[in-house]
Amino acid sequence: MLILGIETSTMQVGCAIGGHEGVLASTHITRGKRHAENLTPAVRFLCEQSQVGLDEIGLVAVDVGPGLFTGLRVGVATAKALAFALRVPMIGVSSLDLMAFPVRFSSRLIVTALDARRGELYYAFYRQVPGGVQRIGDHQLGSPDDLASELLATGEEVLLVGDGAQRYVEAFEGLAKVELVEPGNRSPSAEALVELAHARALREEFERPDAIEPVYLRRPDAEINWSTRDGA
Amino acid sequence: MADATGDGGVGPATLVLGIETSCDETAAACVRGGTDVLSSVVSSQVELHARYGGVVPEIASRAHNELIIPVTARAMVEAGVEGDRVDAVAATTGPGLVGALLVGVSAAKALALAWDVPFVSVNHLEAHLYAAFLEDPELQLPMVVLLVSGGHTLLVLMEGHGRYRLLGQTLDDAAGEAFDKVARFLGLGYPGGPAIDRVAMEGDPEAIAFPRALMDGGLDFSFSGLKTAVVNHVRAHPDVSTADVAASFQAAVVDVLVAKARAAAQEVGAGALALGGGVAANSLLREQFLTACTEDGLHAFLPSRSMCTDNAAMIAAAGWYRLQREGPTPLDCGADPNLRLATF
Ligand SMILES: [Zn+2]
Repeated sequence: MLILGIETSTMQVGCAIGGHEGVLASTHITRGKRHAENLTPAVRFLCEQSQVGLDEIGLVAVDVGPGLFTGLRVGVATAKALAFALRVPMIGVSSLDLMAFPVRFSSRLIVTALDARRGELYYAFYRQVPGGVQRIGDHQLGSPDDLASELLATGEEVLLVGDGAQRYVEAFEGLAKVELVEPGNRSPSAEALVELAHARALREEFERPDAIEPVYLRRPDAEINWSTRDGA
Repeated sequence: MADATGDGGVGPATLVLGIETSCDETAAACVRGGTDVLSSVVSSQVELHARYGGVVPEIASRAHNELIIPVTARAMVEAGVEGDRVDAVAATTGPGLVGALLVGVSAAKALALAWDVPFVSVNHLEAHLYAAFLEDPELQLPMVVLLVSGGHTLLVLMEGHGRYRLLGQTLDDAAGEAFDKVARFLGLGYPGGPAIDRVAMEGDPEAIAFPRALMDGGLDFSFSGLKTAVVNHVRAHPDVSTADVAASFQAAVVDVLVAKARAAAQEVGAGALALGGGVAANSLLREQFLTACTEDGLHAFLPSRSMCTDNAAMIAAAGWYRLQREGPTPLDCGADPNLRLATF
């Protein structure tokens, strides 16, 4: 069974195909922020060039965020429609989990941080376990300073990954025990998505297409303003 | 999919799945041959937006993303079609709210790719024109269409399929927007159109002489001054009857709409006049529109109330015509929130 992975939670548009033999093909486009324009043609290109028919896809995996809302919705709507049309199950994977996957061999505390705009970050903590990493606690939304204080409070050696960490590098530079992973590892990858989804597919952790929704972590502004007004 | 591929033939048997997510309705429909509606499912988000007094784009986008697959699945079940028996997938690519449009466009392109059938981009305004053909396939062209909704107020000459001329449009607020704003100001709730329609039944349309903007100035419209006039009048006369204000406001809007539609039909010598868009559900507008057409000897088309509001049957119908005329749209198509009606 082959897995199609779709990843659009950052500025990047990514897709990959793989299975038990690993990743067979992948493509990532980071320039342009043209998620809706690029994604379907990228999937078609990937299938054509790797000579995989869409009818061979047995699972659609998608990065459900947190991340940029519009990109996420393009990815999730596309992935759900593909799974619905192909009549195959889905697996949703967190963007922050995807960021931790390539650095899973580190014994340090792993922290992934994606740019949430408006001076904030989406972040999560991970620790090495046999066979990979495990997330400690929930996804969080906070300022770079919030994260810096949390890192300091752990007192541990930390590996910090993601475009959010890179954007607010000055908030973390002074922390002696924190190492920032260099560019090349800024965005979640579709390859990591396929590999993580494969592991979960072996455990049959499937989801129905209509059960998959983006992880927003932030309510719509209108709702926030409304409840503020209500409380006043 | 014999009809839509190979020799490129698009005919009476060609089945188009239409998808519409440009504003606050998530809709999907199956239409055969551009006219035969097999199913039309509309999931309105009106309750999600009601307390804000208008459509909140981020809330709309989130809701579209949740509803798009269930609504599409239901449209296919109700039409009794299997997924791979659809000949093309059409979606609204504009105009509308960009985040909302992108959900429908993304899903439609993915379905077309998975089923290996053409994708067709549809202009929402053009689709409103095609709503008329869904209910009255015998309509003769050229005709003039008065398209009035929360987002648009247009007078369009439809000369042929795909051949349009913009005759007039609003210079500020759309007519539906004016209804929403006035209803909100009068405390009548959201959406404003039906609320004012209801309250106006109890009022006197001649109680207050609200202005009829640009009445003698060509075919363009302006409604922002009318809204201001309503506000000023109510502030100056705090104990005025709300029903009279609603009725007089509605009469002012309808007078202008009908007068300009008539003038447009006369100017271009059209034999038919059609109404479209959400405001076309307004009782007074329907009544006066029919009277005007009868007086002027024009073939009148009034859409059913379900065809006035946004739906996907009109998207599938417009998609069928567009596919026949121009062929499939490339898959690198995105959404264009400001898409205009292609005119000549
Ligand atoms: Zn509309």
